[in-house]
Amino acid sequence: MIFEKRTERIFLAIFFVVALCIPLFLEDNSFFVGKATTVLILAVFVMSLDFLVGRVGLVTLGHALFYGLGGYLFVILTPEYEAVNFWTYAIYIMAISALIALIVGVVVLRTSGIYFIMITLAISQMAYYFFFDSLEFGGNDGLFIFMKPETSIFGLSFLNLDNPSHFYYLALLAVLVTLLAIKIILRSRFGRIVEASRLNPERTEALGYNIFAFRLISYVIGSTLAAYAGLLFALQYGYVNPQFMTWEMSGTALVMSILGGLGTIYGAILGTLTYEGLQYVFEHMSEDWMLLMGGAIILMVLLLRKGLAGYLEKLLEK
Amino acid sequence: MANDIILETESLSKHWGGIKALDNISLQFRDRELHGVVGPNGAGKSTLLNMLCGTLNPTSGCIFHKGERIDGMKPWKFVRRGIGRSFQKTNIYAEVTCLENCAVAAQRRFTGSFNLFASRHANKLVREAAEKALCQVGLDRRIHTIAAEISYGEQRQLELAMVLATDPCILLLDEPMAGMGHEESLRIIELLNELKKTYSIVLVEHDMDAIFELSDQLTVLDNGTHLITGTVDQVRNEPQVKEAYLGKEEEEEAA
Repeated sequence: MIFEKRTERIFLAIFFVVALCIPLFLEDNSFFVGKATTVLILAVFVMSLDFLVGRVGLVTLGHALFYGLGGYLFVILTPEYEAVNFWTYAIYIMAISALIALIVGVVVLRTSGIYFIMITLAISQMAYYFFFDSLEFGGNDGLFIFMKPETSIFGLSFLNLDNPSHFYYLALLAVLVTLLAIKIILRSRFGRIVEASRLNPERTEALGYNIFAFRLISYVIGSTLAAYAGLLFALQYGYVNPQFMTWEMSGTALVMSILGGLGTIYGAILGTLTYEGLQYVFEHMSEDWMLLMGGAIILMVLLLRKGLAGYLEKLLEK
Repeated sequence: MANDIILETESLSKHWGGIKALDNISLQFRDRELHGVVGPNGAGKSTLLNMLCGTLNPTSGCIFHKGERIDGMKPWKFVRRGIGRSFQKTNIYAEVTCLENCAVAAQRRFTGSFNLFASRHANKLVREAAEKALCQVGLDRRIHTIAAEISYGEQRQLELAMVLATDPCILLLDEPMAGMGHEESLRIIELLNELKKTYSIVLVEHDMDAIFELSDQLTVLDNGTHLITGTVDQVRNEPQVKEAYLGKEEEEEAA
C-alpha cells in the first residue's frame, strides 16, 4: 500500500471524489471551475515543494524559478499562431527544466542549511530580474499565449483546453500523477536513502552513499514537477510573466506546505485548499484581508505543530 | 605470523592551524587482526580514525588500502572499499526501527539504490542481511523497535550492527563500549573476539581491560605523536608508555 496512513486514505478518497464531481455541478459557473483549476495546479506546485523541503530536507526559497520556467519555456519553444501538441511540448519543457535543474542543483547543493536557502533565493531572483528586464521576453508584462495546444494522443483527443471543465480535469490528473509519483519514489529504495540523508546525512555518507547524487536527483524531480505546474498555469491564463518567479510565490507555497503538514505530501493538497479557501473568504469579508490571513496563519502554525495533516492524524489514527 | 597488510598510513599528519592534532604517524593494520589504539584524551585517536575512514583529509601523508592510495577520496568511497566505521557519539537514525537502520546500511550491497520504482520493502536479501547484523550484536528482540526507544547501550550495539550490515572487511570502531553496562560490554568483547577472526579491526577504546584482552597489536598515541606499536606485552613493559599514559592513569586512580 502506497498510502500507509488511514488519515491519508480517507482524505484522498474524499478529495478525489469531490474533485471529480465539481465540474458536473458547476458546469455553468466557469469562473468557479477556473478558480478550482488554479488551486489544483497550485497543489501540484506545493506538493513538489513539500517533497523537497519535507522529505529530501532541501529548504528552497527559489522553487518558483521552475514554476515560471515552465510557462516561459512554452512561449519560447512554440510558434505563436499554431496549436502544438500539448503532450509533446510538455515532455520537451520538462526535459529542459530537468536539465536546468541539474545545472542549478550542482551549484546550490554545494551548500546546506541557511546558505542553501540564500543561494536558491538568489538564483531565482536572478532569473526574475532577467525576465523582468528583458525586452525579448516581454519584460514586466511577460508574454502571451495566443493558441492553446491540442491534446491528442495517437490521433485521439479527449480534452479541449479551451473548455474550462476539460482543463480542470487535466489539472486534476496532474495532481493524481504528481501524488502517485512522489509516493512511489518515497517508498522506493531510492526514497529510503533520500530520507536517510535527511534524518542523518553524516551517517548516510558513512554507510557508503553519495548523498550529493541522491539530493541532486531529488532536486531535479521536484523542480521538473514544478515546471509542469507552471506550464499548466500559463496555459490556463494564456500568459506568463515574471510574477511567476517571485520569491513571494516560493514563500506562499512554503506556507501552504507547512500549513498542511510538512513532508506529508497529501498535506500539501490540504494546505493549498485551506490557504486558498481562507483567502477567498477573507477577501470577501474585508479590504484588509491580508491582515486576517496573516493572523489565521500565525494561529494555525501555533496551534497545529504538525500542520493540518498532523492534527487529522491525531484524531483519526488508532 | 604476519597476516597481509590491508591498511597502511605513511607519515600521516593533521594540523589545525598551528596545532598538530596528529603528527607523522606511520602504522600498518593487518588482515584478521585487532589493532588497538589507546592514548589519553586529545592524543589524536579520533582524528586518526576520522582520516582512516575519509571523513577528514590529512594535512600531509598518505593512506594505502591494499597497496592503493586512497587519501583524498570521498568518505562514501571508503565504505565501498570495505572500510566501515562506527561513531564515538551514537549516530543512528533515531526516528525509524532498528531493522530500517540496518536496512539502510545493507541496501547498497544488494540492490540499485537509484531505483525509483522498486519498493524498499520488497528485497528479501536486504531484510535478511539487516536481521543478521542485528542478531550478531544481540539486538534480535529489538528488530521492530524504534531506535530512539531502546537503551543507550543498545543504541551502541545498533551502531555496531549498522557497520556490520555494510559488510566491511575493515572495521574502524570508535569507543564502541563507551557508556555500556558491564553485561553489554562483555557481550561486545565476546563479539569482537569472534569478529577479528574474519575482519580487520581498528579499535579505539578507553576500557583498558577490554583492549588488553582483545588487541593483537597495540598502538599508543600521546599528544598527536606515535609512542609505540607492539604486542600488548611489549607495550605494557615499555617504560615510556607507563610514564606518558598508564602512569598518569594510575596516579589519577590513586588520587
